[in-house]
Amino acid sequence: MTETVLETNGLTKRFGELTAVDHVDLEVEKGEFRSVIGPNGAGKTTTFNLITGALIPSEGTVRFNGTDITNMPPHERVHHGVGRSFQITNVFGGLTVRENVRLAAQSMYGDEISRREAMFRDKDSFDELTDRTTEILDKIGLRDRADVHADTLAYGDQRRLEIGLVLATDPELVMLDEPTAGMSSEETHETMTLISDVLSDQSLMLIEHDIDLVMRVSDRVTVLTRGQELASGTPEDIATNEDVRDAYLGGARDE
Amino acid sequence: MTFVADLTEQLINGVTLGMVYVLLAAGLSIIFGVMDVINFSHGELFALGAYFALSISGALGVGVGFWTALVVAPLLVGIVGVAIERFTIRPLYGRNPLYHILLTFGLVLIINDLIKLVWGTQQRNLGVPGYLSQPVGVAGIQVSLYNYFMIVFAGALALGIYLFLERTKYGMIVRAGSQDRQMVRNVGIDIDKYYTLVFGLGAALAAVGGIVLGGYQSISTGMGNSVIIPAFIIVVLGGLGSFRGAVFGGLLVGIIRTITRTYGGTEFGEVAGITLSLPDLEGLTIFLLMIAVLLVKPQGLFGNPEFQDEGGEEGDLLTGADGGVFTDSVRMKLGAAAVGLLAIAPFAILLTGNDYYIILLNRVLIMAIFALSLDIVMGYTGLVPLGHTMFYGVGAYVAALVMIHYTSSFIIALFGAIVICALIAWIVGSLSIRVSGVYFAMITLAFAELFYNAVFKFQFTGGSDGLLGWDTFFGIAGIGAELNGINLLIAGFEITPNIVFYYTALILAVASLLFARRFMNAPFGSVLQSISEAEERAEFIGYDVTKYKRRAFVISGGMAGMAGGLLAVKPSTFIISPDQTLAWIHSGEVIVMTLLGGMGTLFGPMIGAGVFIGAEDILSSYTEQWRLVIGTIFVLFVLFVPRGLVSIPSLLVQRRQSAESDSPSVGFDESEVNTHD
Repeated sequence: MTETVLETNGLTKRFGELTAVDHVDLEVEKGEFRSVIGPNGAGKTTTFNLITGALIPSEGTVRFNGTDITNMPPHERVHHGVGRSFQITNVFGGLTVRENVRLAAQSMYGDEISRREAMFRDKDSFDELTDRTTEILDKIGLRDRADVHADTLAYGDQRRLEIGLVLATDPELVMLDEPTAGMSSEETHETMTLISDVLSDQSLMLIEHDIDLVMRVSDRVTVLTRGQELASGTPEDIATNEDVRDAYLGGARDE
Repeated sequence: MTFVADLTEQLINGVTLGMVYVLLAAGLSIIFGVMDVINFSHGELFALGAYFALSISGALGVGVGFWTALVVAPLLVGIVGVAIERFTIRPLYGRNPLYHILLTFGLVLIINDLIKLVWGTQQRNLGVPGYLSQPVGVAGIQVSLYNYFMIVFAGALALGIYLFLERTKYGMIVRAGSQDRQMVRNVGIDIDKYYTLVFGLGAALAAVGGIVLGGYQSISTGMGNSVIIPAFIIVVLGGLGSFRGAVFGGLLVGIIRTITRTYGGTEFGEVAGITLSLPDLEGLTIFLLMIAVLLVKPQGLFGNPEFQDEGGEEGDLLTGADGGVFTDSVRMKLGAAAVGLLAIAPFAILLTGNDYYIILLNRVLIMAIFALSLDIVMGYTGLVPLGHTMFYGVGAYVAALVMIHYTSSFIIALFGAIVICALIAWIVGSLSIRVSGVYFAMITLAFAELFYNAVFKFQFTGGSDGLLGWDTFFGIAGIGAELNGINLLIAGFEITPNIVFYYTALILAVASLLFARRFMNAPFGSVLQSISEAEERAEFIGYDVTKYKRRAFVISGGMAGMAGGLLAVKPSTFIISPDQTLAWIHSGEVIVMTLLGGMGTLFGPMIGAGVFIGAEDILSSYTEQWRLVIGTIFVLFVLFVPRGLVSIPSLLVQRRQSAESDSPSVGFDESEVNTHD
């Protein structure tokens, strides 16, 4: 028996005349590595934003573990277990690496910190939080760099911290928006290794236009064109799918 | 005269005034749209146009002079505008728009004082050719020909600007720039070159407005101050960067102001024993209108719905928190030493036998708390409340009213001020924080002006005189003493009410600082700091950013209310009047103090308050033109020491280090360093 983590029904987003996402139905199962690919303008990023909460759909629903999250603001989705990473590394540059991770962990301990403690107790005096922070720092391999400012980290280490921030919020599903954009093949390999190491317990949804990468790492692949779902299946299915070849792969290879 | 004729006459007057607002708001709006500059000095450029015209028509005689002035004075002001852009605003591009506020606030002080210096402070009249001031009667409506002249002339000018923006290549680039600057750069156009043009044009338009209004009413040094806030309201109401919005908003506000002034409070008759009357809302309506419009349509009536803060391009706020040269323990010792000095200061002052400096220090302490409260929102959440003085003023009024009507205990009065102001902050914050930074700034300004105008209207707030005459009980529930009755002799020192107040304010100031430091190091404050670092990221690790910002604003509002409430504790020293507590200039001043000291450090703004008031006191004893000097200091500060006074030690260290590494320039750098010491 497989369990559905994320389910969208008739998901639609219109910007004026343009329908960027047009009745998309997706189902992501627990533990699955799902990729969403498609040419520019296919509606990948809009779909991503509808699921993470940066945009609210014009029609349709998003359900997560059976809960309707269609109209929830992003921060509430995070608390339900939907995490996201950013394409452009987005960490708290002026704070230390440890403080970055601690903040993400603290967000999940919100209920255990009373109002009085939130105002008056030293932020570093919560033992459980400190332990969790250290644990994450170990996982992403940045414990020895914990006390430097995040903006002084090398680019690769910033990516690690970025993943660490997502991990610290303890997500069930992690949404990844082109995590390897602009990277050399070596950096791409490192990043994907990091993701599969650190986020091995999570369901993943990757938005990507690098087909070769997607074919290598995914359990299942969804192809979008012009806002609509063209096909979904295993990488092998997609590679042999006639429609996908005609509409997308052929065109992309000509470029 | 019939009611209809009378109303028509008022409508014509309204449109006449409205055209002046159109000229002002059009320039302000384009400048904001293209350059993101909130130009507080726009009103002074408006006044400068009128004064240039005064000199020109004085030299050439009224007939030729007026027409010459109408052409030459705007050109001169345009040149002034170009110079301002080139030498002061240009170096600030890429920094947060907040710095433009400080800069243009400094320019307000400079230009206004220069006007007083050159033309004097008495009210003047700009002569208008006789044939223009003839009354013209059409169908029983008597209006001066000058009204029609103003409408036609300003209308033609506005149409010209509209055609320039719509039909020419330059205009197209300017419009494109106000939509998306980065995109204009991407297509290979150097938009920065157009900034000078836009700023000069905006200044010239303001000058035309000043001249035509000068001929209609009169010319005074306060004319810039009186139009700048309505002009801002129009720009926001119509939609930032929208020319059509400026025209529509200008006319609307002109008409509303004239109509409410004429008919406000008029009774129309009785129906079934109930008197029908229009409430007297002059000065309130436009702010209520703006708040209503922004709640329904946050982008303004004609604003681009896609308009958002250009997050990526917005420069960083330069807080003073980074790169300090002192360690924490040194800082603690310096802080303790400062408090120690302040604790014994009254005795040193008393040795001189002069009470004056204690009163001055009392002001410093109150403003220090006020500046600290601003830093909590501005330095830690990046929100800039342009109307923060609403809390200061409302706090003062609440505390005074509690002591007049309820109990004279100052503790209860202060508590009331804190609670009411925190509540107002919660309401204002709920309405505005989720929209965007610019609208937050403008809505807070509108609310502050609303309170400012409201206290004039009501009996219980004492109108323009403010509140007078009550006694403060220094204690609670009957335990304590009348503040003014306190006169003790301790070890040869006379303990006056001023000294009692001084220690009270000192304790509250230190307690406020410790409180703020405490929660900044607690989970709540750590989230505020993450928001100021990367707001979107904070949202996506699960923080309700809007809620955190609102809480910070509520704390800040309560603290500012306490600072204002302290004014009411010493009614014989401080005046609780709208101009002393609620005027927008105080919102500007407290922003200046905060930036001057070093935003985002908590203690920096408190130092800034002390330096500001100290400088004001010293300069005003030497020269009438102290505003000119202090304005120049702000401008230099914002250009060269943007992180504030608290960053000077590390700036000096940097200089010394670079002086040691580059031996050729040692001599020069060393002398520079020494002058700062």
